[in-house]
Amino acid sequence: MRILVTGATTPLGGEVGRRLLTDPAVEHVLEAGAEPFLGDAPRLSYRRCDLTRERAVHDLVHGDARAHGVDTVIHLALHRSARDEGPRIHARNVLALRQLLAACAAVPTIARFVYPSSAAVYALRASGPALLDEDAALEFDPEAPQWIRDRVEADLTVCARMGMSRLAIVVLRTAEILAPDMGSQLWDYLRSRVCLRPLGFDPMINVISLEDAAAAVVLAAGARGQGVYNVAGADTLPLSRLIARWGRRDVPVPRPLLAPLYRLRAGATGLEFRFDLNLRRFQFGGLIDDARARADLGYRPTHPLRWPRP
Amino acid sequence: MTSAPARGQPDGLPAFRDAGHGYDVFGLDPRAARRAARLCGPLYRRYFRVTSTGSEHLPATGAAILVANHAGTLPVDGAMLWLDVMAHSGRVLRPVADLFVAAFPIVNTVFARIGVVSGTRQNVRHLLEAGELIAIFPEGTTGVAKPFRERYRLQAWRVGHAELAIRHRVPVIPVAIIGSEESWPVAFKLRGVRAFGAPYLPIPASPVPLPVRYHLHYGAPLALHRDHPPDAADDPVIAAAAAERVKVALAELIARGLEARRAGAVGGRR
Repeated sequence: MRILVTGATTPLGGEVGRRLLTDPAVEHVLEAGAEPFLGDAPRLSYRRCDLTRERAVHDLVHGDARAHGVDTVIHLALHRSARDEGPRIHARNVLALRQLLAACAAVPTIARFVYPSSAAVYALRASGPALLDEDAALEFDPEAPQWIRDRVEADLTVCARMGMSRLAIVVLRTAEILAPDMGSQLWDYLRSRVCLRPLGFDPMINVISLEDAAAAVVLAAGARGQGVYNVAGADTLPLSRLIARWGRRDVPVPRPLLAPLYRLRAGATGLEFRFDLNLRRFQFGGLIDDARARADLGYRPTHPLRWPRP
Repeated sequence: MTSAPARGQPDGLPAFRDAGHGYDVFGLDPRAARRAARLCGPLYRRYFRVTSTGSEHLPATGAAILVANHAGTLPVDGAMLWLDVMAHSGRVLRPVADLFVAAFPIVNTVFARIGVVSGTRQNVRHLLEAGELIAIFPEGTTGVAKPFRERYRLQAWRVGHAELAIRHRVPVIPVAIIGSEESWPVAFKLRGVRAFGAPYLPIPASPVPLPVRYHLHYGAPLALHRDHPPDAADDPVIAAAAAERVKVALAELIARGLEARRAGAVGGRR
């Protein structure tokens, strides 16, 4: 396999790259990222690339990827900060993906496209099921924050090409990766010594480790067929337990106070947790059912979180 | 997401499918269930003085659907059934609640910890595939709010339980709950008050449930699935006929239960 990995300088990109290089069946990994040149190694080359520029995407795919005979593309480049909004962020999250997909479909050697989406695309409602399968409703609320709307649009952009393009496309709707520098809302939430949650609600939460998320991406890259798959992590527990196991103090607070309190926190400390992004999840949970990924991809979460010492 | 097979706990806790941190995917915590059973023990034994017959029909393992009559402002009947099933089989019954319950603060969490599940099709499918014992009240909120004059008359009868039984090849066990329909009847409904998505605010005829004796009668399991292939669950005529069969069986069980109560053949002073 010859693989192009975008977003290679993110923690997930780094872990995916490392895993791919341990597989002798992988002949070459072409990494693309926003950081300056990282250096090449045997079977590994790096290309700095701003995917928001159509020309850069074109040159990456028709130049380097074609030259290396890339057959599989893993697109991990996604804007991670929930504080940033606007057309520039939309271009990075959605337009870059659309351009990359179109370019990949035009290169004859490229046969497979893997896109790790997010479980945040699902609509969470009190009347919804506790376990969301891949057919569950997506969040189309026009009032939803751009962070969510971008992820839904990106997910559907990829799904819409499934069966319409010669590429075999895999979308992995992954549980929240509880790790630093991954744009994890919960990681940021748990950085405070006191964690406020809505009074009267203690939903079940599932989180995934970086290792398991990367393992799912590598499995999807090497699998046959295409489809949408939920990828859940090894840790499923109530929000209050998650807070306690992280060594934080769990303080239930009337729900209407939470959004302003966390806005104040964000303003004062620069931290990224936004209650409006988590409003429904912190009341109604919304675990994902990964039965399809287990059956088709052979996925099993085997790396529980490394919990901090109390 | 899957979880370990249901298993009894070494410290005597009820069996459950641990999703990894001592809770199942719906939020059931067997320690909380045991605490709730102890806390409600006096209500079960001394206040409502619950007795039951036919508990040998409760399977020790595997999925089954209990179908019961429903009445009484708040689901006290569901709580007594839950306690009785735990007392006789050691299993945690998974009552299926109306969808609006998940939006109720505090109630949603307490219900989740003791095994109540919101009644979406996917939730119930998941429970049956996991071999759980579930309880469905096909009368729904219509039953809870039935007027006193309608006591023990089965109201609008939903068919979901019959569809599920046929599709998932599980037995249906009718349960007549005698006592609940006199204990706390609804005086009237405030339809204008729709707190947290509830269809109305029930105003009961008494401030607390009256200490009426409860008698639970578990009927023989009905194998609705024996007569139909799984796909027949989608046929509305078949599903309605199967649901009617359950309704008739439950109505007979209720009639027998009421007759036994009149004759003084059940219960007795404790």
